[in-house]
Amino acid sequence: MMSLFIDTSNFRLIVAVVDELSNKVISYYNEKLSGDLSVKVFDVIQTCIEQANIKPREIEKLYCVTGPGSFTGVRIGVTICKTFAWSLNKKVIPISSLEVLSSTNTNYKTIVGAIDARRDFVYAGVYDENLNIKHADKYILIEDLKELLKNEDYCVVSDDELNGFENIVNSNIDVLKIINKHKNDESVNPHKLNPNYLKITEAEANLKKKND
Amino acid sequence: MKDTFILAFESSCDETSVSIIRNGCDEIATVVLSQMDIHAEYGGVVPEIASRNHVENITLVIEQCLEKANMTIEEIDAIAITYGPGLIGSLLVGLQAAKTLAYIYNKPLVPVHHIAGHIYANNLVKPMKFPLMALVVSGGHTELVYMKEDYSFKKIGGTLDDAVGEAYDKVARVIKVPYPGGPIIDRLAYEGEDTYNLPIPLNDDSYNFSFSGLKSAVINLHHNEEQRGNEINKANLACSFQNRVSDILVKKTMKAMKEYNVKNLIVAGGVAANKGLRSKLEKECKNNGYELTIPSIKYCTDNAAMIGAAGYYAYKLGRIADLNLNSKANDILK
Repeated sequence: MMSLFIDTSNFRLIVAVVDELSNKVISYYNEKLSGDLSVKVFDVIQTCIEQANIKPREIEKLYCVTGPGSFTGVRIGVTICKTFAWSLNKKVIPISSLEVLSSTNTNYKTIVGAIDARRDFVYAGVYDENLNIKHADKYILIEDLKELLKNEDYCVVSDDELNGFENIVNSNIDVLKIINKHKNDESVNPHKLNPNYLKITEAEANLKKKND
Repeated sequence: MKDTFILAFESSCDETSVSIIRNGCDEIATVVLSQMDIHAEYGGVVPEIASRNHVENITLVIEQCLEKANMTIEEIDAIAITYGPGLIGSLLVGLQAAKTLAYIYNKPLVPVHHIAGHIYANNLVKPMKFPLMALVVSGGHTELVYMKEDYSFKKIGGTLDDAVGEAYDKVARVIKVPYPGGPIIDRLAYEGEDTYNLPIPLNDDSYNFSFSGLKSAVINLHHNEEQRGNEINKANLACSFQNRVSDILVKKTMKAMKEYNVKNLIVAGGVAANKGLRSKLEKECKNNGYELTIPSIKYCTDNAAMIGAAGYYAYKLGRIADLNLNSKANDILK
């Protein structure tokens, strides 16, 4: 049974075709974006599916990274996955981009997947080495995150330049680990597969401030 | 001849729309999900909110359209998509959905310029006759386009600053009528008289337009009257503003018709719904023996039916794109 994994959330394009029966990654692409995601994404999906020697319809399940991260980036992956899953009636499982980062193999029992959210904020999710959630994904001040983890021995996984962390490594994600963690998750209705921005828009925040 | 069905997508601003069009002229089904109520709270379209709503609704809109048409994607010949111009985040959502379906169903992907769509909305009303002149007036565009034949576009003039619909919305904000203010100004103009001394915008020999000076004149006039403690007569101001706008649009359009020796005029875009503009164009066309076509209101605002109509002709001309097609916030119609 072939599954397609797509992550476009964080200025990096990750696509994989995984055979869940044999628990093998059949094709895999993971590169930092050098051009426009929208130009590149189908070339990569097409190549990964061709390398697996299957047709798109033979994909049985999609693992879609729904954010947080780049708003536009997340929307591209989510729109592709929801359209794909809806039109071919396939299963689709949403995955956190922070959990994806946390799948990186470290020697720590507490792993923080983190993405720069600017102005001293990060999107951060705290996981154990088996990808169990310790602290849910949040949009948080770096200082507050450090306070939250002050009694823990942890490692931050991030592809961004984040200051103020002692142990920080770049991502080296483990797609099989993520899929094995989620392969029994219930599929969501593709119409309801939506980005998880973790942050309201500035316009909404300003309106809320005005109304409060 | 075998029928050609185009599945079309439009998501360039705040409408998520999908349509199925037969042979470039028959509307089989269209679904338009407007976000107007959402953005009204902010006094205008908020791009990030628009993009968020597009992604939430896109598959629902496709599904509803197919159900309405009682068709499947397998029965479609090609997929047309507005690639630009427009709000980039919004455009990208429609584009990914269109590319996904083009990829998995192995259908040709046809990129359509948003303005070509507005022009071809007229083909849904009656077959377009060439050569023709198209006056495109909307919230984002003000252009005069000469078409010698199907899918040949020569832009002969356009706005140098604000689009006409944009000027309407800004003036509406100044005189405090709710968003979108264009239709309300149009209505107020009918109740008022042309009493305010406003400048004629870019009254020259070119085919270009400029509405920012006129808009500033309205803002200044409003401000000065307020300072003097005089109450503005909104209806009269709306009428004066609308007259300056429509007069210059009609004058330059008529000049272009004469110079390019065309007898067919089509009007397109959201401001084509403006009654003041419509009645002046009708009168001038009648006086000059020109044939005027203006689409019904539902085809004036953004919709995918017009993209399907234009997409049919683009498809017949072999204008097919690869899956690496990108959205463009700005692009010249050609």
